[in-house]
Amino acid sequence: MSAVTASATTPPAGIGPRRSPLLFWAWILMLVAVFGVGVATGIHVLINGLQVTNLTDELPWGLWITVDLSAIALGAGAFTLSAAVYIFGWHRYEAIARAAVLVGLLGYSSAMMALFLDIGRPDRFYHPLLYWNVHSVLWEITICVMLYSTVLVIELLPVVVESTPLKNIGWLNRLSHGIHRLMPFVAVLGMGLSLLHQSSLGATYGILTARPIWYSPSAPVLFILSAIAAGISLTLFVTLLGSMLNNKQLVPPNVLRGVAIFAGFAVLAYLYLKAWSWAATNYYSDVPGRELSLEILTENTPYNYTFWFGEVIFGALIPSIILLWGRLRRNPRNVMIAALMIIIGLVINRWNMTLSGFVVPLDWLPGERSLPATFYTPNLVEILVSAGIVAYSWIGFSLGARFINLYPDQRPLKEGEEVTIL
Amino acid sequence: MSEQTNEMQETPEESHPTQGKSTIVSRRDFMTLLIGAGATFVAAATLAEPLTNLVSPALSGGGDGGHGVGESPYHWVMVIDLNKCVGCDYCVYACQATNDTRDDMRWNIREVDETETGNIFHVTRPCLHCSNAPCVEVCPVKATYNRADGLVVMDYDRCIGCRYCQTACPYGAREFNWEDRTDENPVVPDFGRPEVARRARGVVEKCTFCIHRIDAGLANGLMPGVDSAATPACVNICPVTARWFGDINDPNSEVSRIIDEQPTLRLREDLGTEPNVYYIPPEGMVVI
Repeated sequence: MSAVTASATTPPAGIGPRRSPLLFWAWILMLVAVFGVGVATGIHVLINGLQVTNLTDELPWGLWITVDLSAIALGAGAFTLSAAVYIFGWHRYEAIARAAVLVGLLGYSSAMMALFLDIGRPDRFYHPLLYWNVHSVLWEITICVMLYSTVLVIELLPVVVESTPLKNIGWLNRLSHGIHRLMPFVAVLGMGLSLLHQSSLGATYGILTARPIWYSPSAPVLFILSAIAAGISLTLFVTLLGSMLNNKQLVPPNVLRGVAIFAGFAVLAYLYLKAWSWAATNYYSDVPGRELSLEILTENTPYNYTFWFGEVIFGALIPSIILLWGRLRRNPRNVMIAALMIIIGLVINRWNMTLSGFVVPLDWLPGERSLPATFYTPNLVEILVSAGIVAYSWIGFSLGARFINLYPDQRPLKEGEEVTIL
Repeated sequence: MSEQTNEMQETPEESHPTQGKSTIVSRRDFMTLLIGAGATFVAAATLAEPLTNLVSPALSGGGDGGHGVGESPYHWVMVIDLNKCVGCDYCVYACQATNDTRDDMRWNIREVDETETGNIFHVTRPCLHCSNAPCVEVCPVKATYNRADGLVVMDYDRCIGCRYCQTACPYGAREFNWEDRTDENPVVPDFGRPEVARRARGVVEKCTFCIHRIDAGLANGLMPGVDSAATPACVNICPVTARWFGDINDPNSEVSRIIDEQPTLRLREDLGTEPNVYYIPPEGMVVI
């Protein structure tokens, strides 16, 4: 019979086949080690300040901002799929929405960790709550991220309660049922908050008139479109990975199909706007500052290559073909590769976005001369902290997938059967 | 294989009877989506300002600390003559001594520039105290704000050190305290003595137009730009009198007279930041 009947008969728990617990715990142990190194490095940063990074006054944002922007974007699958289930009523997507919510929560908490270390005064992290500058996109982002993280906790709570001994606690059980009834409202709130701050992250750069390479009205829309594409791609990727490692069809083939096609169209929409954004500002119009900026970037950095090959061809064009061409999409390995390409393309984009504006020097001298270009390579401290944050999110997802009922419609694969996508 | 295909086909219909009619976005779904998104946006936009006024003063313990409110009869501006400047760096050092900045965090800097005709000239650049300052717009906590007298000031106790203001400033006028200061100031006492406390690690700082002198001077009946004790250190020290400071609201002040009588330029006027530092152009540079 169908997948739902299967899930009704099997007790609600994580993927956990308990097939290779040794391997699983070895994986967790390795991640914990990386996370531990990250925490130790983070403490080093808190004690000694940001002088231990390679950041400068000319280039004050670097790898951690890239981590933070990428983590938030990769968490966007949560609001997209929650909206599909609770607003549009496409209930079959609940089979994957819970995983998306966990990915989202891990993404947002990762971003907050990166931000906490990246601000000069972590002890004042709560100041945006006390002192409001409503004209600052960064204030809006801070508030939205805080509120939306709360929404994600609320969305995930019933899942955690139902699949752990917590369900025996009466009031918690009642609370979790109450939340479940309110889910459509929570989903609308989550979607509103996400649409606001995911776009505002692009506006963070897009509104800066003094930097011709950043200043662009399309930046906010490009950010949300790429976040939707990459967010559901990450959820798809970890779901297929989990399916293969555990020999289970974690999500029914038709749901996988829907999600893959949606990711394909999202990345196509992103590509379309990106192409026009480029054409309108670099081909059909001629702004001297922008042309000079691109020249400086092309001469001094691999920007030209990473933009065209990394972001456009590798990160958007090829994966959109794979995901939308039925023959290619029906192979789950192809879908995993395409999803990974979208994810990598997004990270490259966020890195390029952050760095490009800084590399090109400010042009405030009144005469003919210009200031020198700025360069940046993250140092070991920045890399170790970032690795620790990535390890944290993998620990979170691995444990979540194993111990809570992330995939309600899962069923084990029969002998010789493979994971399928329609 | 055939069994599998069967199962896939029946999954959508049988398992979720509710889902049949919603496979395509219905008008109602669409309206819900639109209203939800619209309402959130409208709520955020309309409630933001009144809520700020309501919540922010209450939370921050009475008033906004005077951040961006009040009135002043004065509006301070600086004039720098690029024609006269000889590039001696005295203003750079006087600022460094008075405001006790590090060598690589100077608030007032000098760059060498060239006109179209090949004339080499020196540009010194303090904070331009823009009336329409990008740093003020982007700061998430109003740690930097426009005072009623035109100064763009910093609240070091409020700054969270996110460095968005550094990113937004078109003139590179902001410096971040990457570390705790233990260094000796190399230009003290030759170019003056520190008049303000060193800033803590983790906050952004910038030129204040020597706000401590302005405020103390006015309180003691002195006029900034006229009486040297109330005037920025960089203006006082200039050996060729290439810098002036004063109140542009007073038509008889030196700065008002200069700006009225001769062509001046402001840096990146195209950005609409309305800087309050005016430059007299060097020979060979035409200003309309």
